[in-house]
Amino acid sequence: MPLIPRATARLFAALAATLGLMAGAVAQPAARPAAAASEPEATAPTAAGQRIYERIRPQLLQVRTLLRTQDSQSSVGSGFLVDEAGHLVTNYHVVSQFALRPQQHRLVYATVDGRQGALQLLAFDVVHDLALLKAVDPAPLAGRGAVPLRPAELPLPRGARIFSMGNPLDVGFAVAEGSFNGPVERSFLDTLFFGGSLSAGMSGGPALDDAGRLVGVNVAARRDGEQVSFLVPAEPVRTLIARGRGATPITAPAWDEVARQLREHEARLVKAFLAQPWRNAGHPAYRIPVPQETWMRCWGRSSPAQSRGLQFERSDCEMDSRVFVSGPLLTGYITVRHEAYDGTRIGALRFAERHSASFGNEFVGPDDRLRTAAQCRERTVLPPPLPGAATAKVEPPLPLRAVVCLRGYKKLPGLHDLMVLVATIDGRTQGVQGRLDAFGVGAASAEALVRHYLAGFGRVATPAEAAR
Amino acid sequence: MSATVPRLALLEVIGRDGRVAQTLDVQRWPLTLGRSLGADVVLDDPFVAARHATLRPGDDGQLTLEVGDTVNGVREGRRVHARGSRVPVPAGGATWQIGGLTLRLRTPDEVLAPEQPLAPEPAAGPRTLLLVALALAVLALGNHWRSLDPGHEFMDWLPLVAGLPLVLGLWAGLWATVSKIFQHRFEFMPHLRLALPVALAVEALDTLLSPLAAALDWPLLWRLVTPAQIALLLWLLHRHLALVLPQARRAVATFVGAAALAGAAVAISANWRSVDRWSHPAYMSELPLPALQWRSPEPAEALAADIAPLAEQLARRVQEAQDEEPPDGGGED
Repeated sequence: MPLIPRATARLFAALAATLGLMAGAVAQPAARPAAAASEPEATAPTAAGQRIYERIRPQLLQVRTLLRTQDSQSSVGSGFLVDEAGHLVTNYHVVSQFALRPQQHRLVYATVDGRQGALQLLAFDVVHDLALLKAVDPAPLAGRGAVPLRPAELPLPRGARIFSMGNPLDVGFAVAEGSFNGPVERSFLDTLFFGGSLSAGMSGGPALDDAGRLVGVNVAARRDGEQVSFLVPAEPVRTLIARGRGATPITAPAWDEVARQLREHEARLVKAFLAQPWRNAGHPAYRIPVPQETWMRCWGRSSPAQSRGLQFERSDCEMDSRVFVSGPLLTGYITVRHEAYDGTRIGALRFAERHSASFGNEFVGPDDRLRTAAQCRERTVLPPPLPGAATAKVEPPLPLRAVVCLRGYKKLPGLHDLMVLVATIDGRTQGVQGRLDAFGVGAASAEALVRHYLAGFGRVATPAEAAR
Repeated sequence: MSATVPRLALLEVIGRDGRVAQTLDVQRWPLTLGRSLGADVVLDDPFVAARHATLRPGDDGQLTLEVGDTVNGVREGRRVHARGSRVPVPAGGATWQIGGLTLRLRTPDEVLAPEQPLAPEPAAGPRTLLLVALALAVLALGNHWRSLDPGHEFMDWLPLVAGLPLVLGLWAGLWATVSKIFQHRFEFMPHLRLALPVALAVEALDTLLSPLAAALDWPLLWRLVTPAQIALLLWLLHRHLALVLPQARRAVATFVGAAALAGAAVAISANWRSVDRWSHPAYMSELPLPALQWRSPEPAEALAADIAPLAEQLARRVQEAQDEEPPDGGGED
């Protein structure tokens, strides 16, 4: 397909994860000791931020991943205490280097008043990007109180002020005030839309309502917009705390646990995906599978008006929710694309050349540190007729050239990237090429997706054929 | 040379390019070789002594080389005959290195090597060559036309119309220059005659074999197109070299064959490293033409059923990768 370059304005791209920041350690000057965990009182809105910060200060932490052999930090984020026993919550991506290479890294916290101490990783939720940690020596953190979680049965109205805390860019602890905008639309994973600014280093910090209760955990921000940031809701935090409190600290690379969680995620995702019927692209000659936009976003594009060559229309559907595993590995999502070509202006011979060139111009991936090279199987196939005898009669068969490729995850056995490439081969001057990518799926899911995707293709009967 | 005096031997001075630069009829023995004017054969070379050597038959009639008062001696093959040595000359003659010169003595007893065949005259006459050139032009123009959009600029043809003759001309010219160095002949047409059909075959392989492979649903055939084109080009290289160095045909064949084997081994192992396959493309990109689909399609289920064995194959690869991994579980960063 990339006869045409990839969508230039990829507005839907890249949830820029707020990770990885190198800076000198910051020790905040000691401030008032922690004693002010009292009931919230109603004060003027302008003072709310100040009041909440004063309340949360003792429970607010910076979480640093350091190299084991020296004090250089390889990533910094924020965190907050969730109980009196020294348990704290941050993002998985803040501690992913430790989780995957604990021999090379160690974790430390720093409080607002400058205390520091070693941390251990108890549990994580890679899908929701959360981690539960505990101070090796809980004594310095005792008596500081804990951030309460806002009850699930108490929904926050859209537009409510919320306060996000953290240590942006390792500059110093800060309060970012913004509005609560409800759940992110068309997201497979529950994510909250925070109308405020989040910067790198604030990842893992708490976002609180005006009573100082946890609404969500800072996780990411879009770099192509203004004040479009995201929070992990409180519910998965609650689940993680319940599951991870009292767990044995993680000391060995946690790839197996990451794989287990990703397998659960992909099974849920693929099951939900398969349950949705395809939408039709509205092509006059072909039935082309386009996913529902329940939790995907589709962008369309067509050839420039002045183009004298091959005419095309393109659709790009992607999921926003992606699972961060490590710097180079984002996974757990599906994309579906197609391009419909019209070659009547260039004729059959030229069309055949463009169609093949476009089909050959697909990236499937070489061997790298995390994934094997893609291996493919190719066939000329007939997709099954649409269910329902009446439809099967009027829809003539459509031969397709189809390729399936898998890339295996070297560290996450049983998970793969699936690519399905499809091209119609019946048209002299028109054709369709489609591509489905599923990142981080098991073999059974891959098989089901191949079946599902191929079944989405068909030929629309011409009036003459339909009349027969 | 006078008919009355019999030729006892022939002394040849051989130039740097291996060709005979000068011949001398030997009509009497002894024969003295040296830089001084008193020598029978004056060798004008600073590394030759005034009286460097003398050829003289002994009492038994055996011709002997006597090395004179020289620092450098006389080199025969890998041996050096030092000052004062007397060496019998083999019956068939001998080749010596004297100073910077190579001298060959041929005697009536020498066994002549059989006559070398000339490079065979090409069977294709000028008319065939013209036809080949025409076919190449039609094929290249056709392929170029196909790659252009309707309403293209006239200048879009320039790279092909000017480029193809230029490249072929330069190619043949370059080889002709090499011929001039080794053979003292500027063999432009013979080299062009070699290159034209190969260029046609390379272009035709791509134009015809790829659609054929797609029509037959035979990806292996498609994967072989590029290696076949490379093999053709190597064969062309061999033919050019054989034309330039006809006396070293066997060496040229060995060299090109070895280079081809080494190149193939490097390419395959590089592919194996990066994509775990001998051939780089992941799948056949050529789509069959609507009118040329000679294999009936399979049910879509067949492709879904390919996933399980594919996953098994990858699981083995993943296992290998994990076995190679250092035990600290490294990985990301």
